[in-house]
Amino acid sequence: MKNVKKNQPVTASETMGNQGERTQTTQPERKDSNVVWDFFCSVKLAVVIILVMVVACIIGTVIVQEKTLDEYMARYGYGFATFLRYTQLTNVFYSYWFSFLLVLLCANLICCTIKRWRNTFLQTGFILTHLSLILILLGGVIKFQTGVKGGVNVYEGKTVNYFLTQQLDRNGKLDYIKKDLPFSIALDDFILEKNEPKFQLVSFVKSSDRQKALEIKVGKKQRVPGSDYKVFIKDYIPDAELKQEPVNSSDSPNNPAVYVKMYSSDDVLAEGWLLANEQNFYDDKKLNLRIEYLWKSSQQALDKAATSVGNETPMVSVAISDWMQEYPLELNKTIKIEGSGYAVKFVQYAFNYGDKRPLEEQPPENPAVLVEINGPEGVESRWVFEKFPDWDKMHPARYKEVKITCSGFTSTRLAKNTVRVLQSPDGKRTLVHISDGKIVETVPWELKKKHAIAGTNRQVEVFDYYPSFDFKREVIRKSDEVKQPAVLVELDGPQGKMEDWLFANSQYATWYKDKNFALVYEATGDSIKHFTSKLRIVENGQTVAEKTIRVNDPLKHRGYAIYQSSYDPEAGQFSGLQIVKDPGIPVVYSGFGALCFGVIFIFYIKPFLRKKQKKGVEE
Amino acid sequence: MSIINITLIVYMMASVAYIVREIWMSAGTKWVSFGLLVLSFCLNLTLVITRSVEAGHPPFSNLYESLVFYACCTVFVYLIFEFVYNFRIVGALASVLTMLILFYATLQDDTIRPIMPALKSNWMLIHVITYMLGYAAFGIAFVTSIIFLVTKPFGKKPQAISAEVKGTSPITFDKLSYKIVAFGFPFLTLGMVTGAVWAKKAWGDYWSWDPKETWSLITWLAYLVYLHTPLVLPKMNVNKSKMSVILACWLLFCFGIVNFTFVGLNYLPSASDSAHVYGSK
Repeated sequence: MKNVKKNQPVTASETMGNQGERTQTTQPERKDSNVVWDFFCSVKLAVVIILVMVVACIIGTVIVQEKTLDEYMARYGYGFATFLRYTQLTNVFYSYWFSFLLVLLCANLICCTIKRWRNTFLQTGFILTHLSLILILLGGVIKFQTGVKGGVNVYEGKTVNYFLTQQLDRNGKLDYIKKDLPFSIALDDFILEKNEPKFQLVSFVKSSDRQKALEIKVGKKQRVPGSDYKVFIKDYIPDAELKQEPVNSSDSPNNPAVYVKMYSSDDVLAEGWLLANEQNFYDDKKLNLRIEYLWKSSQQALDKAATSVGNETPMVSVAISDWMQEYPLELNKTIKIEGSGYAVKFVQYAFNYGDKRPLEEQPPENPAVLVEINGPEGVESRWVFEKFPDWDKMHPARYKEVKITCSGFTSTRLAKNTVRVLQSPDGKRTLVHISDGKIVETVPWELKKKHAIAGTNRQVEVFDYYPSFDFKREVIRKSDEVKQPAVLVELDGPQGKMEDWLFANSQYATWYKDKNFALVYEATGDSIKHFTSKLRIVENGQTVAEKTIRVNDPLKHRGYAIYQSSYDPEAGQFSGLQIVKDPGIPVVYSGFGALCFGVIFIFYIKPFLRKKQKKGVEE
Repeated sequence: MSIINITLIVYMMASVAYIVREIWMSAGTKWVSFGLLVLSFCLNLTLVITRSVEAGHPPFSNLYESLVFYACCTVFVYLIFEFVYNFRIVGALASVLTMLILFYATLQDDTIRPIMPALKSNWMLIHVITYMLGYAAFGIAFVTSIIFLVTKPFGKKPQAISAEVKGTSPITFDKLSYKIVAFGFPFLTLGMVTGAVWAKKAWGDYWSWDPKETWSLITWLAYLVYLHTPLVLPKMNVNKSKMSVILACWLLFCFGIVNFTFVGLNYLPSASDSAHVYGSK
């Protein structure tokens, strides 16, 4: 140590704040000062310890603390995990070296305080702050040595006399230790109170990943901050219901649909709309019966479909760079692709890939074709999936430039009995019944006329026909109470305006056309407002204490404090209690008090007193 | 236009006015800049109050609310200092800093959500207010340190206070930084202590080495180092001028820590274990 003004008492505020007015006492030079004493007294040591502590604290948050050895292994690998455990970096704040640091700090504080102790009023702050830190550290030691902390879940009406603490054992495994209580805790009542639901409209801009709540005020036009989107709230219904009604929007066949009923004698077994362009079939799994509705663009196409058993053959399309060709699925026929050096062969197919059943029994869930590609580098076998056309893009393939997809399986699948309802724009209506792959019957169909399906006891009736099937959506007001609110909003953005009803009970966001902007109308009040436990402390069969505890308000009894910490997240059946015993609390809290008063004294009271003194001197 | 945008604009105008005032140094511009900053403070306070009324809870239960409140505290602390010390150029940077904080707030999710039971405590109120005042002071100290470091190579002793103020002796920016830190440090200490008491009430333990707790300790220790180094460096033969530079740099670093403790903890791997980190939920 350099011997510069070694024994002169200096405090921080004196050096920087009020230089040149050091009117305090100066101690006589201590000749007997030894090296050890000086070392422990020095501010330099304090600063070094603090800096090391800062580094330790940073490490202690960068490395996740007190996890099991398995977790460290998974995160860092064997070598580094072992190193961390060996150096106690997995448990920095309770490690031997951190404890040593704290002991050193304590020694430093004590020596420093003794050395600079003056019995002057202005020194109060200095003494209080430094002593307070010693008190807080001491309280921490008491907590560590004699305190316990654990938890227990109690069901309503039940009593417990123990709790569990968590601890890592020597091998870095998590261990629960049961601790007995000197009394019993009875949970008489557990109340979980939820917040009143509140509803809000939240906007989301995907490109900037920004979420923003919008004001819900009918007639209000607002721009979403930081974007070009505008939202106009046109209507609000506190309790709304959406009614969807099928309607026919025009007489031209834009979206042809038939309403089909299936009977067993006079009972309707199933009924519903079949849409030629969307959901065009109904399967009766039990009976292995399918009813399908096919819209054919011309009479020829209709006739063809009415006379062939299979629908169209599934098609396999082969593409090599810009060139593309579709082939009907014919097994084991080698197709040479001219000018490319490739040849393909369809080896096998399945309606449900991986299904061990025979083809006829497979549901068309995951149709796939096994293709052999013969090319310059030998043969590549590749499964091609109808529903996952991009499969080969994501999986290793030898001939990446050869792209193969297949289609037409889903609509090809034949049930044991298939009833095909065919229609074409010129008004031709044909009903075909196919049984076991053979056409059994071909008849014209009429609206509201039952057709018996031979070999089954079922009848089919086409009840209605809409050339342009559409939904008429209507939002109705059920009541004036706020129950299931809905808002009608108009979205405006780069692709023009769109309008839609948003329902608070919907799980889905409403997206704007450009798929970059969305609105969600949601309830936010579904969170927990309060949870309280009515506790009774029982000793020798007698109730000695009672209290309803809640978060921020514990029950204290015989040195134990019982906190409301959690609740059964699913059924709300049990109450999670935290049980803490910490005899060091009075010490720590006196430290806290001293620290607060000390810093206030140093930085506010002392300068004020100084100023007053100075003024007094000047006058 | 929403109030928050107007507030941002007024902050910007105040900042320009402070620069103009620095160039012309006329008494008139002084009142313009001061007035604009007071106006933006009022607007910012309106934001805090309306939000509080609207949400039905103290206005610092999520990151958006905390940032708006922090901005408000920063101007408030600055205005106190300007009133006491009659600064010059500090105001320009201080209003820019506040504007940045408020701008950062506008990027956050401002959805009002019900607060969790643990946040319903009077200790929380004191805890946050004291902390924010402390952080605000450190923000101003950050600004004065920047000014100190930037002006150091030019003048012999750039003064923070105009000589026109009667009765006060001129003060250099490094000393000014120290005074501001000395103002903020007790608030930081009170914030930490009240936080510990609140944690004891809510979670049963006054200190559990939660990442937020640990980082608030790091912040406290960093400023503690700042307050103690003036006692150490002279003994290590570091001259005064060098020491001022080291301390100013240290303050910049400290303010980085403050910001990390405030908003950066989500980036820590241990964040998922913390009860304090502003969640995305």
